[in-house]
Amino acid sequence: MISKHFLGLLCAAAICVLPADHAFAQEKTVKVGAVFPLSGGSASAGVHAKAAIEVAMDIINNAHPEFGNFPLAKSAGFAGLGGAKVEAVFADNQGSPATGQNQTLRLITEEKVVAITGAYQSGVTLTASAIAEKYGIPFVNGESVAANLTERGFKWFFRVTPVAADFARIFFEFLADMKAAGAKTDNVAIVHDTTEYGTSVASVIASVFKERGQTIALDIAYTSNATDVQSQVLQLKEKKPDVVIMIAYTSDAILYQKTMQSLDYKPPMIIADDSGYSDPSFIKAVGKISQGAFNRSSWSVGPPGSPTALIAEMYKKKSGDDLDDTAARAMQAFFVLCEAIDRAGSTEPAKIQAALKATDLKPDQLMMGYKGVKFDEKGQNMLAAGLIIQLQDGENYVAVWPKASAGKAPVLPYKGW
Amino acid sequence: MRPNLIGRVAIEKNHGTMSSILVQVIVGGLLLGAVYALFSSGLTLVWGMMNIVNFAHGDFVMLGMYVAFVVWTLFGAGPWAGAPIAALVLATLGVVVYFGLIRDIMKGPMLAQILGTFGLALLLRYSVFWWFGANFLSLPENLVGGTFDIVGLRIQASRLLAGVVALLVTLGLHLLLTRTSLGSKMLAVAEDSTAAQLMGIRPDTMQAIAWAIAAGATGLAGALIATFFYIVPTVGETLGIVAFVTVSLGGFGSVPGALVAGLLIGVIESLSAYLIGAVYKDMVVYSLFLGFLWFRPQGLMGKM
Amino acid sequence: MRRWLWLSVALALVVAYPLVLSTPFQQRLGALVLLYAIAASAWNVVGGYAGQVSVGHVVFFGCGAYAAMGAYAHFGLSPLVGIPVGIVVSVAISAVVGVPTLRLSGHYFSMATIAVAELVRLIVTNTDYLGAAVGLSGPTVPRNVFDLSFISALPYYYLFLTILAITLGITWWMVNSRMGFYLRAIRDSERAARSLGAPASRTKLYAFMLSAGLTSVAGALYAMMFGFVDPESGLGILISVKILIMAALGGAGLLFGPLVGAAILVPLEEISNNLLGGKGAGLTFVLYGAMIVLIARFQPGGILTLINRVWAKRNGRMPKTEAARGA
Repeated sequence: MISKHFLGLLCAAAICVLPADHAFAQEKTVKVGAVFPLSGGSASAGVHAKAAIEVAMDIINNAHPEFGNFPLAKSAGFAGLGGAKVEAVFADNQGSPATGQNQTLRLITEEKVVAITGAYQSGVTLTASAIAEKYGIPFVNGESVAANLTERGFKWFFRVTPVAADFARIFFEFLADMKAAGAKTDNVAIVHDTTEYGTSVASVIASVFKERGQTIALDIAYTSNATDVQSQVLQLKEKKPDVVIMIAYTSDAILYQKTMQSLDYKPPMIIADDSGYSDPSFIKAVGKISQGAFNRSSWSVGPPGSPTALIAEMYKKKSGDDLDDTAARAMQAFFVLCEAIDRAGSTEPAKIQAALKATDLKPDQLMMGYKGVKFDEKGQNMLAAGLIIQLQDGENYVAVWPKASAGKAPVLPYKGW
Repeated sequence: MRPNLIGRVAIEKNHGTMSSILVQVIVGGLLLGAVYALFSSGLTLVWGMMNIVNFAHGDFVMLGMYVAFVVWTLFGAGPWAGAPIAALVLATLGVVVYFGLIRDIMKGPMLAQILGTFGLALLLRYSVFWWFGANFLSLPENLVGGTFDIVGLRIQASRLLAGVVALLVTLGLHLLLTRTSLGSKMLAVAEDSTAAQLMGIRPDTMQAIAWAIAAGATGLAGALIATFFYIVPTVGETLGIVAFVTVSLGGFGSVPGALVAGLLIGVIESLSAYLIGAVYKDMVVYSLFLGFLWFRPQGLMGKM
Repeated sequence: MRRWLWLSVALALVVAYPLVLSTPFQQRLGALVLLYAIAASAWNVVGGYAGQVSVGHVVFFGCGAYAAMGAYAHFGLSPLVGIPVGIVVSVAISAVVGVPTLRLSGHYFSMATIAVAELVRLIVTNTDYLGAAVGLSGPTVPRNVFDLSFISALPYYYLFLTILAITLGITWWMVNSRMGFYLRAIRDSERAARSLGAPASRTKLYAFMLSAGLTSVAGALYAMMFGFVDPESGLGILISVKILIMAALGGAGLLFGPLVGAAILVPLEEISNNLLGGKGAGLTFVLYGAMIVLIARFQPGGILTLINRVWAKRNGRMPKTEAARGA
């Protein structure tokens, strides 16, 4: 008795899902899918990544001779494809592995994208890249750090970003240098959340430090999106570590800095691991009370007129925020992908894949502080690297380590507010 | 499971500072608990009065925070202006929501209430997202007079203000319900709305007033929490679930119950985070809550 | 007689759907509708028929998903092996959780189930064997057909359709058995049912256990299709709510209610995300939330009750509650 109306519903649903008309697709654009969390708890990161990729599209599609040797900037569009333009098709993965996979499938089969980039959270990148692998579409990731992503034997997955082991090495070497300069660094505490990012980075840091003969004195794990962090700060206050390594997303990072101020706790040295501490909202919210905090990053603004300064300026104009490391890494991945498409001179996925495998970019062709981009057989960038930045005089991070890329000298101890 | 042994060993070594730090942990927990109570009082009021689960409650708190932020950006005014304005705005919204949605879904099954208020939660959350964007916002540190030191204890003025207001709101709501004729009318409607109607009380008006008061108190809470918390469209998800546990532990409809439960949860969270490890604090709270329901299925101060 | 005719037409349409609307995304959308229909129908057994509004069903969903992925990740077995394991674990958990919580009245039961779900999520997030926060992955490259890792959604579609039919069959059988009779009595008035000698506690517990087992199958199927589960996607409270609102929106306590709810909400969410999600302004959920509010406001009993009423009116008879509930 209900079936007739049910039938009506089915028909209605069927009409809704009829494919969009693609008759108007221009021949002169190359579509690239970009799957990011544009809603939900990580939307802030996704929205920034989207703005960054839109800036990258501007740089690629219009003539920007001021960028000098920077790939794809000089002429309008892809030189290798007769000036064809790149179009990023954005999709919202809602921070969900299921939605990420659905949207990737839609981008591949309905939007006919030639390659994909994304998807921020490692879990979402995992499912999204799995469907790209099945369809044989290149997936270039710029910001997910879970170790298992490149251990799956995939042939179409490429990762540009440094991973936890790289971070740990950076931290260790930086601390060794600081120790040589006279700072106390023996007693290290790690504060991290129990997300996949927080636990994996913390455990890799602990094991790298242990290999090199230094133990982690205090390990404070907490559940992400905390309502209160007073007890954790009090634990630190009591144990008095020389160095506190903070691994936190924006929400918790803001809360930690506010709580440290209200409980009057100033560790001699705070080193943050990117993410929350890099978010421009973090600097706006608590930058004034976090003076002297170190941060791991691969992004730093170069001297005026350099490509990075131009990018920073364009991004600020577009989004109103300062470019942060996470969005910058997503942008770099998009550039790497586009450079491969240009070099392939084709929109055929297999040719793009071959071009990606042959990628060999030098530091001056990159916006990030990597030593280059060259993928190993697992698809991991072997030359990914990072630097240490510090929040000095006001609301800007400046590069302080390694010396080669430092704009200023590191200042100790942590000043706070 | 990852036992946090290193942290515990450290604590046992430092007996000298431990007791003063322990006091700080407890005081911090009490202040936190007062905040929990503050943003739960509105929820317990409508829950008890109308038997409605408001899944949009956390998002009401979020709206209160955004109102405080707007008041600060436009007029540079702190919570002295922001909190009353937030209370007014949210009270108005409460009345609109009551007449636009709640009045009708109350006639349906309990599921319709979850359906309706969950839809409302998404609608509010993402309308704010659309308007303000996804960025984390924050009010300046010293809007409510910074932090002061009392015999070695660090007390943050903004948290103290929220704590005091929590006590006042609880007391006010309790007196309103038990000592005023408006309160008796509202309770009469909650008890038996048909009988109340026969006695010349208009259930619609009473319930609309209850929604206005509940939403207003929630807006007030949001504006005060904004002085020491971050502001983001999804913050309601984090806070909403705490409010649910607080209200059920206190007993649906019991305003003093919510206060006691809030304080209890705050102290348990702080102590367990400090003594066992921050990862375990929510597990401890949920386990104790479930264990408690086993012995007292109606909550601390609720009626069956 | 006409009812059976219409039912078979509907069934034929459902069977033909992925062959007619055959782009990969349409097929996948169809499979997703069926997947959520299975989960919502399973929830319906206890949430709709027994009137016990569980908001913690994601625990059972997660059991199935973790069992399926665990079978592959730890033992290299087909994720299919995880299905019976998931069922056994879910039924056991539901018995342990159900005995104390089912005696709680109304909202307290809902709150207790939320607490259980959050507790389980936190425990799993800190359990290395279950992948902790990283989660467990399935076979990325299928070894054989039993890995159920397909490129096309077509095999999933028919697999899910079969499971949905079984789920609905079990529900129908339960509703028309003595247990269904007890459940209706308990839902209308537990006290009256008890005084008439219906074994209320036991019946509710059985319904809870049955529902848990069926939900875990939905979780296992989900994990096989997406090849991955982590604490957020397998045990997040939002999944419970999603399952619940699908059943409520279609019509809780009605056999086809959850299917109707899934057939409305899943396409609504996916298509509004397709159209609006890429803008990054949150409009997907503004639309989604507004639709749910409107349906709750104007049709609090679910879409299917409206359809039943219209249908009954056209046939010139009052809607029989029994008929509406039973079929």
